[in-house]
Amino acid sequence: MSTYALPGEYCLPDLLCCAASREVRDNEVVFAGTGLPMVAILLAQRTHAPNLKLIFEAGTLDGRPPELPTSVGASCCEIGASRSSGLNDAFSIAQRGYVDLGYLGGAEVDQYGNVNTTCIGDYLHSELRLTGSGGNPDINSFASRTVFIMLHEKRRFVKNVSYITSPGWRVKKWPGGEFVHRRELYGSAFRGGPSAVISTVGVFRFDEETGCMFLETCHPGKTPEEIHALCQFDLDISRVKGETEVPTLDELRIIHEVLDPDEIFIPNIKKHSHV
Amino acid sequence: MSNNKRVTLQQAVEIIKDGSRLTFSGFTIWRRPMAIVYELIRQHRKGLHLIEVNGGSHTEFLVGAGCVDIWESCWVGHELYGKYGANVSRKVREKELLVEDYSHAEMLYRFAAASQGVPYAVSQSSLGTDIHNPEYDMLGRAGLRDGKKNAKHKYIFTEDSFYDAGSLVLVPAAKVDIAVLFVHQVGEEGTVRINGQFYSDPEVARAADITIVMAEEIVPEEYLRRDATRNNIPSFEVDYILECPFGAHPSGVFGRYDVDGEFLKHFYTTTRTQEGFDAFAKEWIYGHDHLSYLEKLGWSRMLNLGSNSALNYTPRKPKGGN
Repeated sequence: MSTYALPGEYCLPDLLCCAASREVRDNEVVFAGTGLPMVAILLAQRTHAPNLKLIFEAGTLDGRPPELPTSVGASCCEIGASRSSGLNDAFSIAQRGYVDLGYLGGAEVDQYGNVNTTCIGDYLHSELRLTGSGGNPDINSFASRTVFIMLHEKRRFVKNVSYITSPGWRVKKWPGGEFVHRRELYGSAFRGGPSAVISTVGVFRFDEETGCMFLETCHPGKTPEEIHALCQFDLDISRVKGETEVPTLDELRIIHEVLDPDEIFIPNIKKHSHV
Repeated sequence: MSNNKRVTLQQAVEIIKDGSRLTFSGFTIWRRPMAIVYELIRQHRKGLHLIEVNGGSHTEFLVGAGCVDIWESCWVGHELYGKYGANVSRKVREKELLVEDYSHAEMLYRFAAASQGVPYAVSQSSLGTDIHNPEYDMLGRAGLRDGKKNAKHKYIFTEDSFYDAGSLVLVPAAKVDIAVLFVHQVGEEGTVRINGQFYSDPEVARAADITIVMAEEIVPEEYLRRDATRNNIPSFEVDYILECPFGAHPSGVFGRYDVDGEFLKHFYTTTRTQEGFDAFAKEWIYGHDHLSYLEKLGWSRMLNLGSNSALNYTPRKPKGGN
């Protein structure tokens, strides 16, 4: 058993990375985006899930990148891969149902786990156009579970997102746009949905029947009431299990010495506290 | 079609007319035909309709320069080096750019359909999202869905009648006039060899009416044909070829050079405003040709981007005796 880090020995991105890493189970097929999720998956690969299969959207299948890639299209993604090809493979594999877990992000999330990465404000008169969907809705449509890593601010945890880029547990049925459970729309393609939101204050899950988000654990130092006040909807805090598990010293060593020594995605608090 | 497919950079760009429906090789900030993108800007191309599986820095350059009226895709940004497409965002806010949103898989399937010669593709992706909101059919709102250049519908919803799989969405084939590719090697007759991930290049090359291939090097056709399993696109799908070493900079090329992250960061941070973009273009695009652009970048920068030929990527440690 590895020893848990003490307060001051890790930073918030370390905590998020380790929480995200623990979502992976061994032997799963995992679809990864760039950034923190990539560190989380490679951490899982080097700890409790050595047999996970990593898929990058640009077309590398079961890759073992020797360095942390700066994007999923990067050259080092395909080093050690079982196959290197293209997007048709990556999305076909996902739609076919091979993907167990996907990691995603977003600018806004609502009570049903719908996520917006497209625009802030009215789509037709957009104040701020963001990146757009990318593969976010596709992975969220096809994977059995998805995990969102998000910055927690009250303006980002909203009752209804201004634009549903990526489908949560209750989604809009067109042409009318009334909310229905995603099971109703996805038919044979229904395999699950958002499984966790890991924010900068806590870890949230979803009641798969009502489709509503609830708080599972608070990050150290946060209370359920504080977190409730940081959501624009009435967050269910009746199912809280306690505190989010903190990083172990072993995990911190792997993150900072092996995976991200150049602090591209995660700052190394140890380095800076001695400066 | 003559057997001689070679054109100059300038001639290649002259093939692309104002108003063309255009698509590209690559993935976000990888293997984009940047030398042609720069030349399109120098030649003041207008009214382009970009239809892309995904956008990237090249989209930002073309949009910032005012070359693009319509952008049909799913994503734009610079990955780690710039978190969103600030030029696209500005032009959308000022209503100078029409954006039609699809999901990433939908865009891929649209090109796959076009490459198979069928009018639409089917998928179960993105159901219940605002990507499928009928109010957000932007080409339709602009009265541009003529059933010729642009499909009559953005989507059609249907139910599976074969296996009762439930709701399906049909997306129109992506019909493009021209695909512009940047690849590792092209033969004199047009055979293409890509090293590493080929992204969606085979689909876009086959979908387009005209395919222009710019390569790090033109090689003897006979050399590529000795090992045909390694080739990605057959000769007859390619109409024009040109050689342009480092023609993908600042995007990266597997096994050759890394993404120039510093360059992209600089672009992203200095081109939020139109004035910023214009100043950047004045410094790096206008008044240059490809060689003077490379000279301005300089040896030390290019050497540091170069990949290790055994590893096929560029290790983070600096090289060259320092």
